[in-house]
Amino acid sequence: MAGFITKRLLQALFVILAVTLIVSFAIRLSGDPAIMLMGGGNVTEQDLQNIRQALGLERPFHVQYLSFLQGIFVGDLGRSFIGNTPVSALIGQALPATLLLAFTSLLISIVLSVPLGIHAAVHRGRWPDQLIRILSLVGLSFPNFWLAIMLVLLFSIFLGILPPSGMEGPESFVMPALTMAIILTATNVRLVRTSMLETLSQQYIMVARSKGLRDRIVLYKHALRNSAIPLVTYIGVQFGNLIGSIVIVERVFNWPGMGTLAFDAVSNRDYPVLQGTIAVLALFIVLINLAVDIAYGLIDPRIRTE
Amino acid sequence: MKFSKTMKALGLTAAVALAPLMASSAQAAGTLTTAVAIDPASWDPIDTFLVDWSSAANNIYDGLTARGADMKLTPALATSWEFLDDNKRIRFKLRENVKFHNGEPFNAQAVKFTFDRLLGEEGRKGPQQSNYNSIERVEVVDDNTVDFIMKQPDPVLLTKLAGYGAMIVPPKYVQEKGDDYFNTHPVGTGPFKFVEYNPKDRLILEANPDHWGGAPKLDRLVFRFISEANTQVAELQAGRIDVATLIPFGLAPTIEKSQNLSLMSVTGPTVVSLRFNTKDGITKDVNVRKALIMGVDRDAIIKAVLLGHGKPIASFQSELSFGNDPALKPLPFDLAKAKQMLQAAKVPAGAPVRIDFRGNDATFREVAQATAGYLQALGLKPALQPHEPPVLLNDIIPNGKTGEAWHQAWGGWTFDYDNNAYLMYHSGEKWNPYYNDAKLNEMLEKQRLVYDVKEREKILQEIARYVADQALELPLYNQNTIYGVNKRVKDFDAPADRRFRYTKTSVE
Repeated sequence: MAGFITKRLLQALFVILAVTLIVSFAIRLSGDPAIMLMGGGNVTEQDLQNIRQALGLERPFHVQYLSFLQGIFVGDLGRSFIGNTPVSALIGQALPATLLLAFTSLLISIVLSVPLGIHAAVHRGRWPDQLIRILSLVGLSFPNFWLAIMLVLLFSIFLGILPPSGMEGPESFVMPALTMAIILTATNVRLVRTSMLETLSQQYIMVARSKGLRDRIVLYKHALRNSAIPLVTYIGVQFGNLIGSIVIVERVFNWPGMGTLAFDAVSNRDYPVLQGTIAVLALFIVLINLAVDIAYGLIDPRIRTE
Repeated sequence: MKFSKTMKALGLTAAVALAPLMASSAQAAGTLTTAVAIDPASWDPIDTFLVDWSSAANNIYDGLTARGADMKLTPALATSWEFLDDNKRIRFKLRENVKFHNGEPFNAQAVKFTFDRLLGEEGRKGPQQSNYNSIERVEVVDDNTVDFIMKQPDPVLLTKLAGYGAMIVPPKYVQEKGDDYFNTHPVGTGPFKFVEYNPKDRLILEANPDHWGGAPKLDRLVFRFISEANTQVAELQAGRIDVATLIPFGLAPTIEKSQNLSLMSVTGPTVVSLRFNTKDGITKDVNVRKALIMGVDRDAIIKAVLLGHGKPIASFQSELSFGNDPALKPLPFDLAKAKQMLQAAKVPAGAPVRIDFRGNDATFREVAQATAGYLQALGLKPALQPHEPPVLLNDIIPNGKTGEAWHQAWGGWTFDYDNNAYLMYHSGEKWNPYYNDAKLNEMLEKQRLVYDVKEREKILQEIARYVADQALELPLYNQNTIYGVNKRVKDFDAPADRRFRYTKTSVE
């Protein structure tokens, strides 16, 4: 197990290296941040030179990138071009906000999709199944920003019961988490349903039923645990997508998280913030996948022994 | 099955969980909340280039001079000034018995410290120094008098002292606490004091009852950073913010229709034009350029795309700008005449006109499409080319890679035509890749040396006339600054430059 984890962590290092290299290089193709910092306005070439020098932008790309890498190992991610704030401080504030939102959405989606998926599987072909499948299709078809705006319209403008943006208290979580959870649930329901159907056709389920066990025990004790493996794998994969959609959702709800940070960094060409944010997010995705691999063992003893 | 019961239970749980979350939409009495788009991250005056910085910081700091929503320059931390030594020395008398929020006294040393810092190494790293390079140094005469020694004349200096990099900072506090601390814990002499700053979320200020201008009526100011326009409008509709600064033209009617909100649309600094390539293409010919101007119905564009929140312009400046000449009228829209002029200039049918513009500007995209429609009606072949803003600003324009025309939006908070004209028309300037005219250069240089207001205004007006005669651009419009304001806000002076100063404002 220790060997496995070490190997995965080394892989993680490589992934982060590759991701940050691509991002650092690509963002530099899109124009000079000095001009953005000066508001695109009243400046002479000399002023731009001064700014570039102060930001260390006159150095060749490989020098800039290597100094960024060097910084990573001592926990120094550089300073934002805007306001000179340490990037690590910005991430320190944004990361908990994003993780809290991501895990809340994931949790809501699991709480919703597992019973719904089982319900659909049990009633295969009958109306509850049809309804759940149609709803899931509808959920899949919503663009997340549109869904977010509709929720704001309903809960904040018409009903006036939820704050349209910000992270102020538990009520602030409802809409952003719901937006992401709806989209996640739509996929997860289908996954649970399919996986459950497969498990339910296994012989041991027939045996369980034939010994007269109650439905609830058969489903939750025997079937669910066995159909959980694909779900857990998929949740690991989903976490990457989740981070992708969180950028949009955070922006609509003005959530002070990593998505907002990354979005602003791209629009302001704030290289250090963007590189730092991406590196940390990449690290998280890698770690989540590692956690998923470990979780297999917990769910399925057969994998543990291998 | 038991599942339907489970479902019901789930639904019920959700309903119960949501019930106590009735959002507190009503705001606290005495607190006014403003939404601005971007968190400047540092509240130090020398670090910033953002209007959003000023929207908040104009309440924390004072300058030697001040300019209110009426755009009139008034004394502030300086009570009077005089020009000495052939205008090379400007002497400021300072206001007495003024204290910074931390108790430190405001005096001549503080002014000297502020400008030494701005003009020295510290300021070199930031974007503000270049605006104040005309100042050689600041000398302390006595505790309440300072002299500005000028490197070169700067007729706009007094205006520039009213904002941004020239805001006066407390020397002892900055030196003792260091720059990083000052960035996030600003101290000034202004009507509101710093309370709390949560990056990417909000800045909270409270009234400074000892302010030299009298205590403000509000107890607290909250500035929230919301970069998505729809979100700002939603917050405004939900009654959780009082002033929204990011209102796209398309959402203006929503606010107008809302019962508890009002829309304030005031003349702003931003002017937009299509500038012409005077070196290549059909726009090389001044008569063709004039024909293109006359062929585009600018009034119709203002009405249809900006929904009326703009004004036609004859020169590249706002009507509030110093140097604006109300007597100078834009060329009229006359399609038939424009066609005739194109024929006279022997422009072949289907001649290409490429327009380069900032791709992220949704409003201008519509303006560009409308313009292309008019050019098509003239028998030309327009092409729209969107760019990433830094690419357009860094490469396409300065390196002279534009098509026949390009999009330029401009608006300096100083409201002085010099800020636009010199940078747009003087040869060798970054924003002027094509045009070089000795006569125009001379006029542009001359007005920079003249302190006499009347004489300088005359030269600036001559410049505008000359540029219009040469038809160097197609002046499109002066865009309004739009605010959405909750009706509970009283005595809100909508500033053209978004530099709020909430001293007289109150809330119900």
